[in-house]
Amino acid sequence: MKLIEDAVKKGQKNLSEYEAKKLLAAYNIPVTREELVRSKGVALQVARVIGYPVVLKFCSYKVIHKTEMGLIETNLRNDEDLIRAFDNMQVKLDRKFDDREYLVQEMVKGSRELVAGMIRDVEFGPCIMFGLGGIFTEILKDVTFRVAPINKADVLEMTKELRARNILGSVRGMEAVDLDVLTSCLEGLGRLGLEQYAVKDVDINPLIIRGNQLVAVDALVTLHERT
Amino acid sequence: MLDSIFHPRSVAIIGASQGVTATGSVKIGTAALKYLVEHGFKGKVYPINPREKELMGLKCYKSIREVQGDVDLACIVVPSKACIATMKECAEKGVKAAVVFASGFAEIGDKALQDELLGIARKAKIRFVGPNTAGTINVPDHLVTSISMSCEMNPFREGGIAFITQSGALGASMLSRGMDEGVGFSYWVSTGNEADLDAADYINYFVKDDKVKVITLFTEGIRHGKKFISSCLSAIKAKKPVLIYKTGLSEVSVAAAASHTGAMAGSDEVFDKVCKQFGVIRVDDVAELFPLAEVFSWVGDCLPRGNRVGIVSASGGICGVGADECFRAGLEIPELTESCKEKIRTFIPSFGAVRNPVDCTGQIRSSGTGYQDTVKCVMGEDYIDGMLILVTMAAGTRAEFYGREITNIASNTTKPVIVAWTGALSLAQDGYPLLKRNKVPNFLTVRGAVKAMKALADYRAYLDRILA
Repeated sequence: MKLIEDAVKKGQKNLSEYEAKKLLAAYNIPVTREELVRSKGVALQVARVIGYPVVLKFCSYKVIHKTEMGLIETNLRNDEDLIRAFDNMQVKLDRKFDDREYLVQEMVKGSRELVAGMIRDVEFGPCIMFGLGGIFTEILKDVTFRVAPINKADVLEMTKELRARNILGSVRGMEAVDLDVLTSCLEGLGRLGLEQYAVKDVDINPLIIRGNQLVAVDALVTLHERT
Repeated sequence: MLDSIFHPRSVAIIGASQGVTATGSVKIGTAALKYLVEHGFKGKVYPINPREKELMGLKCYKSIREVQGDVDLACIVVPSKACIATMKECAEKGVKAAVVFASGFAEIGDKALQDELLGIARKAKIRFVGPNTAGTINVPDHLVTSISMSCEMNPFREGGIAFITQSGALGASMLSRGMDEGVGFSYWVSTGNEADLDAADYINYFVKDDKVKVITLFTEGIRHGKKFISSCLSAIKAKKPVLIYKTGLSEVSVAAAASHTGAMAGSDEVFDKVCKQFGVIRVDDVAELFPLAEVFSWVGDCLPRGNRVGIVSASGGICGVGADECFRAGLEIPELTESCKEKIRTFIPSFGAVRNPVDCTGQIRSSGTGYQDTVKCVMGEDYIDGMLILVTMAAGTRAEFYGREITNIASNTTKPVIVAWTGALSLAQDGYPLLKRNKVPNFLTVRGAVKAMKALADYRAYLDRILA
């Protein structure tokens, strides 16, 4: 895939969030509506097209921990918010990074956060990982695995293995996740792992439940070191 | 392909010897020859040792080249450094397969030596077990190419279980303890470093063998994941259960495995899910492996269609234990229908509990048929997939009654029946042994019985999902 080839040529150890989302979209994984911009002016245009509220993120493959570095501004409800956020980010960025790019992204509200990913097990090859996401991912480690390729029957079994399985159901008046949507997502991740040898692993967190659909809000795709 | 390993017509023991070590144990070269001969192998046996003219009454040869007839299988019992030259001689002789006992290869970091050995064997089309193996056993054909002390047990107990082990010593102790406890085996193979043949190869071979009803494994790490998965799917297609115990839950055991066989281990969590995905029953207690395998071999295709169980006992207390253990294990205990309850009320005393679990009470002993009728009634309900019969105190003729009647019930149904017998066995000798003799699954604990039922239900679900 060209986007991966280009990244590998540039010696990138991972894709930027924007590149990662493009890759996921190519594999049937629903991602946020977003655009890559370089200026405040374009950011405003994009925000009006996507529709407020939006999220502004600094976008570079070199910056993985955006939250910790204060390079994400959420809940921007109008032009004023976006302008202020953009200016704040310049201060945070200080003199680092010459070629600055930003993601203007739809804001997805959703209290049910999942995690989905692909890892390469030394014994079994590309495996799909799926479970409870958000800030509890590392704390609860409520995730399960399957070796790629997988089908709907496998996905159904995976859901039963999560301690937090009820989160996928219709809890507190919210809709249950469509199993076909989840299957398409996880099966896509599996295909990604089987087809894209340059990709080392994929981490989608959070994968937010919106109604009965899913949307990948952030993603990290690491690449194999060039030998 | 592995016929020359498990069904050779002729075996050479290269490095055969006689005598004992400084501490009085039989030498390894002595053990290899002694066990092969003493267990009654009917094919040709050729001891090879340049320093001996005759061993155990058999002509001893200076080298394998001097043997006149064909040699199907060569047991190589020489130090690691000498294995290369020996394998070359075997290649010249046209040996078809080998068992290489020596340690000192990849497991101590000498991958180069192991690769060299493999290269020679591959070129000569010799398949081999090991290196660093404790040998192989084909019980029905009395083929024992093992140096393990477990071979002092003679004769071996024959049965339908094949055991593939990545640990020689633990694997041998499990085998002998299993046989002690009445479990029978068809094959045993200590895989060693798996330079050539690996666990998946043996699984594939045993899947096709009618003498094997259940395949069991002790493993520290799987070498070729895709191949392993493929062998598990073959087993599912043949409806031959595969039961595994794997170490590697803790980092400490992972490190131990690496130095043991030179294998790299992947994540235990992934392995756990691989078992679920490809229909392998994983046990988390090494001691459960063979008792559970035996249940699978007895039950055959009388697997529970779901995880709904009926429980019957003459004790209210054990009914509570049964219910709790089922809850822990993830088995359901469905409520009985009114019509079922009405029937049961006619079988048991009025103060009994007419629900699931059914407590027939101790007074049921005064009824000739009430107990059996209750069990059959519950078992006959279409929402009951399996029966758990919990026996507490039964002595003398009462024990005989339970043994006989439960055997009768179990033999006349297609649903699995598992018994937990928790009273003193010393008082139940008139009845309890009948269960084992008649292949009725039985455990000394409620938990054991319940976990077995869950494993059967899981396996049935695997078959349904994977073969759909």
